[in-house]
Amino acid sequence: MTKKSNRNFDLFINIVLILLSVLWLYPYIWLTLSSFKPSNEIFTGFFPSRLTLDHYRFIFETAQSMERPFFKALLNSIFVSGTVTASVILTSCIISFALTKYEYKGGPFVINFIIFQMLLPGFMFTIPTYILIRNMGLLNSYSALILPSIMSGWGIFMISQSYKATPTDYIEAARIDGAKDIWIIFKIMMPLNKSTISIVGLFTFIGIWDNFMWPLIVMKDYQKMPLSVLLASFNHEYGAYVGPVLAGAVMQTIPMVIIFILFRKYFLQGISMSLK
Amino acid sequence: MEKISILKKRRVMKGWGISLTYLGYSAIFWGYPFVWLVILTFSKWRYAGSPKFTGIDNILRVLSDELFWKTFLNTLNFMLYYIPMVLILSLLFAVALSKIKYMKSFIVLSFLVANISSGVAYSIIFSKLFAENGPLNQTLYKAFGVTVPWFTNPQFAMLSIAIIVVWKFIGYYGLILYAGVQAIPKSVYEAAELDGAGKLTRFFKITIPLINPSLVMVTVMAITLAFGIFTEPYMITGGGPMRSTLSPMMLMYTTAFQKLDPTYSATMSIFVALMSFTIVFVFRKLFEREVNFQ
Repeated sequence: MTKKSNRNFDLFINIVLILLSVLWLYPYIWLTLSSFKPSNEIFTGFFPSRLTLDHYRFIFETAQSMERPFFKALLNSIFVSGTVTASVILTSCIISFALTKYEYKGGPFVINFIIFQMLLPGFMFTIPTYILIRNMGLLNSYSALILPSIMSGWGIFMISQSYKATPTDYIEAARIDGAKDIWIIFKIMMPLNKSTISIVGLFTFIGIWDNFMWPLIVMKDYQKMPLSVLLASFNHEYGAYVGPVLAGAVMQTIPMVIIFILFRKYFLQGISMSLK
Repeated sequence: MEKISILKKRRVMKGWGISLTYLGYSAIFWGYPFVWLVILTFSKWRYAGSPKFTGIDNILRVLSDELFWKTFLNTLNFMLYYIPMVLILSLLFAVALSKIKYMKSFIVLSFLVANISSGVAYSIIFSKLFAENGPLNQTLYKAFGVTVPWFTNPQFAMLSIAIIVVWKFIGYYGLILYAGVQAIPKSVYEAAELDGAGKLTRFFKITIPLINPSLVMVTVMAITLAFGIFTEPYMITGGGPMRSTLSPMMLMYTTAFQKLDPTYSATMSIFVALMSFTIVFVFRKLFEREVNFQ
């Protein structure tokens, strides 16, 4: 009797959770549908009476003449996030190898230094880093968006932790066969630590893509703005064009959603890893 | 023998060489700003000329700045809504998730996809959904004949922002707690059941104490988030109405880049960090417990 009512209760919870999941997806569904609706229907009905590409045409064509180049901004975002991610992965993989497998005193020292760096919150460094970029004469350049993030203490820390678990025997064996360290990193260490490296790459890419305050501070040139800042400024000044604003929000969101769906396995691993 | 020691020496050299790239990079992009942070805190400077030493003037100014403390109270106000909501809901989510059989991965992914939504985009979506005549108010009006001034009433504005951030983080925090729940051995529950402990007793006497580490971690993450919040109030309310959603980050941003007062802004950032550390520290002292399964 109690067993059965228990099972019914669990089934009930199951149904509630499925309904809640749909509710959680609702903002995305509403956004996507609305970006294809005629303007006058955005706030009146959930389902569009007809689908239109007007809003997308607006942000890709008309907004161009308003000095809000959305397509360029999309490319900027891809370029900046891609460059930073590639650089963080490459530098973290090489530096971590030196820190964990060369058996010298510097290794633990640098890792402790990184832990100390991670203790201090990033927002304390925003204004001083702005001054650095300004003194370097890099304001309003891609370098201002890229250089402060090309190496990541967090990335080195994560990958070092993972490298530590890789047996040194593999490396010794490869060395006896005359392999160069760089070959060992690319052909042995990286494939063996694929999942941690994916997590570092994913979180870095998303972090840079989503970054708002930093590019808002250092980038005033509409031609080099990442999508997040261009979209915010467009929303600020042309908020009345609800349709195009939502189309812009779709552009900002969809790449993240696609990456998320493709790499969902690593996200889940990343979350359980943050427990250790 | 000699060859090995040469190889070893070479490796040590190489190790330092590679470490130096990171240390050098840190010296420029972390050390140099760090020095500037200290300089800014004790001087007066408006981006031109050289900073003028003013002692602890900035610090005294922060201490007596009503607007700064208003943003601190706003943060506490935000935490008052955000932390209970997000903790209770993600805990319920975690426990419910451990009981269900069907469509589990769909549920997990739906809640997690909220977490990767970009700050600017989801702020825009919710500012439309919660708008005066937006879908949410229309539904409320049809069902109950009322509308809620989500972003235009000072108290509701902070609550609305908290709700939005809860939407974003339940999946993430919930999964962390779920991993904690999964780690509790089934035998503990079985033993308690034999002793006649009911469902609620088991939840409060076993589940909650045993997932203490995950709960503490999630709460610390939530406190840190509360002090760093910027995009949502900047995009949705602009800090209003009546500065009720003005966050410390927004005040720092406007002080440094609109009022052109970087020295004062940098001093505020140190205060914000100290307050965030203090609250986290006190919280840990009060709630953190050693947990041992065996």
